[in-house]
Amino acid sequence: MAASTPPLCHDELVGSSHHDVLRVSTSDNIGIGYDIAGLGSRIIAQLLDSLIVGVIAFIVAVGVLAAINPADAQDSLLAGLATAGIVLFVYIGYFTICEIVTGGRTPGKSAGQLLVLDISGAAPTGGQLLLRNVARIVDVLGVGVVVMFWNSQSRRVGDLLAGTVVVRARPTFSLAAVVTPPPVMLRTPDAGPVIDGVDRLGDRELTAIRTFLTRPGLEPPLRARLALDMSSRLLERMQLPATAPERQWAPELFLERLYLQLQGRSPR
Amino acid sequence: MTLDAFVAARKDRWAQLEAMLRRSRRGRLRDIPATELERFGLLYREAASDLAIARRDSPHDNVTIYLNDLCARAHPMLYRSRPLRPGDMLHWFVVGIPRAFREHRRYVLLSLGIMVAGVVAGWLAVDLRPDLRTSLVPQSGFDQLARGQVGSLPSAPLLGTVIITNNIKVAAICFLGGFAAGVPTVFFLAANGWMLGTIAAAVHQGGYDVAFWSLIVPHGVLELSILIIAGAAGLCVGDALLRPGLLRRGEAFTRAARGTLGLAAGSASLLVVSGILEAYVSPSNFPDWAKLVIGAAVGAALYGWLLLVGRGRRHPRGVHLDTAAAGPFASPA
Repeated sequence: MAASTPPLCHDELVGSSHHDVLRVSTSDNIGIGYDIAGLGSRIIAQLLDSLIVGVIAFIVAVGVLAAINPADAQDSLLAGLATAGIVLFVYIGYFTICEIVTGGRTPGKSAGQLLVLDISGAAPTGGQLLLRNVARIVDVLGVGVVVMFWNSQSRRVGDLLAGTVVVRARPTFSLAAVVTPPPVMLRTPDAGPVIDGVDRLGDRELTAIRTFLTRPGLEPPLRARLALDMSSRLLERMQLPATAPERQWAPELFLERLYLQLQGRSPR
Repeated sequence: MTLDAFVAARKDRWAQLEAMLRRSRRGRLRDIPATELERFGLLYREAASDLAIARRDSPHDNVTIYLNDLCARAHPMLYRSRPLRPGDMLHWFVVGIPRAFREHRRYVLLSLGIMVAGVVAGWLAVDLRPDLRTSLVPQSGFDQLARGQVGSLPSAPLLGTVIITNNIKVAAICFLGGFAAGVPTVFFLAANGWMLGTIAAAVHQGGYDVAFWSLIVPHGVLELSILIIAGAAGLCVGDALLRPGLLRRGEAFTRAARGTLGLAAGSASLLVVSGILEAYVSPSNFPDWAKLVIGAAVGAALYGWLLLVGRGRRHPRGVHLDTAAAGPFASPA
C-alpha cells in the first residue's frame, strides 16, 4: 500500500484520548503515550491520602504529647510546637515512604490508579520522590493547586522540582477485548458481483471499512454521509471508470460488498 | 497482513508480557525470577515493535491503544535510574555532602559574608548607640549570665526537640527562600547575624564575654555553619533563577535545586546534633573552658569533614559516574 495515500477517514476524534498525553520516546525510538492524571483525580487521591495520614498523625501527636506530658503553660506551648514539627515529618514521611515502597503510588493514588513517573517515562528514583514530597510544604499552602491548574501537565511545584509527572496507570482495553474483534454488522447476504480494481486496495482499506461496519450507534444520516464519503474515495482509489456499475450502488451496499470481497480473498 | 492476522500471531506474546507485569505488581522486576528476566526484556521489545507496526497500520484501532498501555506499563520497569540503596545514602552523606559543599564554596562564602556583615552591623549599631543596649538585653539577663544560667528552661529533652524543629524550620526557610530569588534567604542570614552581633556587643560592654560565649559556642559553631550552608543552597537556587545563563530559566532552577537540596537537607540533619548540644551542654554546669573546648572540637570535626573528606578518588568502584558525582538528588541521565 502506498504510504502517501490520504487517510480514508478524517475524523480526528476516533481513537484519540480525551486526556492530555505525555509522549515519551523510548530507547528503541518508539513513542509511548501516557495519560496524564488531571487536577480532579489528583485532588481526590490527595483527599484520600490526607484522611489516612491524618489518622496516623493524630495517633502520633497524642503519643508524643502523652510522652512529653507538659507540666506548665510554657512547657505545653513548647510541646505543641514540637508536636507540630513531628506531625510535619510524619506527613512528608508518609507520602515519601509509600511512594518509594510501591514504586510511585500512595494508597490514595492506588485507588485512582495513578502513578508517579519520571518525566522521561522512567521509574522515579528515591531521591526524586523525596524531593517532590518535601516540596509539599510549599504545595499544601495552595500553591500546588494553582500551579497544577496552569501547568499543561498538571504538575505541582514538587513535580517541577523533582522532574516527575503523575500519570494514569489504568489499562483501557483488556487483551481479551482486543483479541475478539467486534462483530461486523452486515445487511448484505452475499458479496455480489466481483468489483474491478479490488486488487488496488490493501489491508489498510479493509481495516477502515471494517471499523466503519463495526461502529455501533451511528445515526442514520451521519452513517449515510460517512458511507458516501468513504465509497467515493474508495472508488477514486480503485480507478473505476465513470460508467462502472459499482458507482450506481448505494454507498453502504458498496462498502459491505467490498468488505466481503476483500475479506474473502486469499491473504497476501 | 490484516490486523486480525497480526493480533492472532502476536497475542500469545502479549499475554506472556502481561502475565509477567501482573506478577510484579509493585512496579519492580524483583518478583520475576532471574531466569525469566531476559525473556521480559525480549517480550517488551517485541511489544514495542508491535506498537510501532500497529500505530503505522491502524493508528485508531483498539489494538494500538492496548499495545500502548502494555508498553507504558512495562517501560518504567526496565528504564529507571539506579535505585537508592542504604549504602549509597551513607556514602553520599559521608562523601557527597563535603563534595557538594566545596563545589558550592562561592555561595558558602557569599552566605558567610552576608551573615558576617549582619554581625558587624549589629555590633557597630550597639557600639555607636550604647543607650540601645538595655533594649536588646535586659539587666536581669546579664545577672543570669554572670551566674551562668539562661532563665527558666523546660526539661532538656523537650527543649532539644523544640530547638531542633525550630532550627530545621529556619534552615528550610533559608533554602526555600531561594525560590523567591533568594531575597528571604539574604534577609534571614543578615537578621541572624544582626541578632548575634547586637547581643554579643551588648554583652561585651557588660563584661560577660566568657559566660556568654560559653553559652553560644558549644552548639553555635555547628548551628550557624548549617544555617550558612542552607543559606548558600538558597542563594545558589536564587542565583540560578536570576541568572540562568545558557539554560532555560526553569531548567537552571531545577538543576540548582536538585544540586543543593541534598547539601541543605544533609547538613540540616546535623541540626539534631547541635540541638542536643544546645539542650544538654550549653546550659549545663560544665566549666566555661570545657564548653569552649567542646565547641572548638565540634567545629574542627565539622570543617575537617567538609574540607578534607572525599578529595581523592572521584569515582569509587561500582558506583555510576553521574550518581556518584551529583548525589541521589541528581536527575536521571
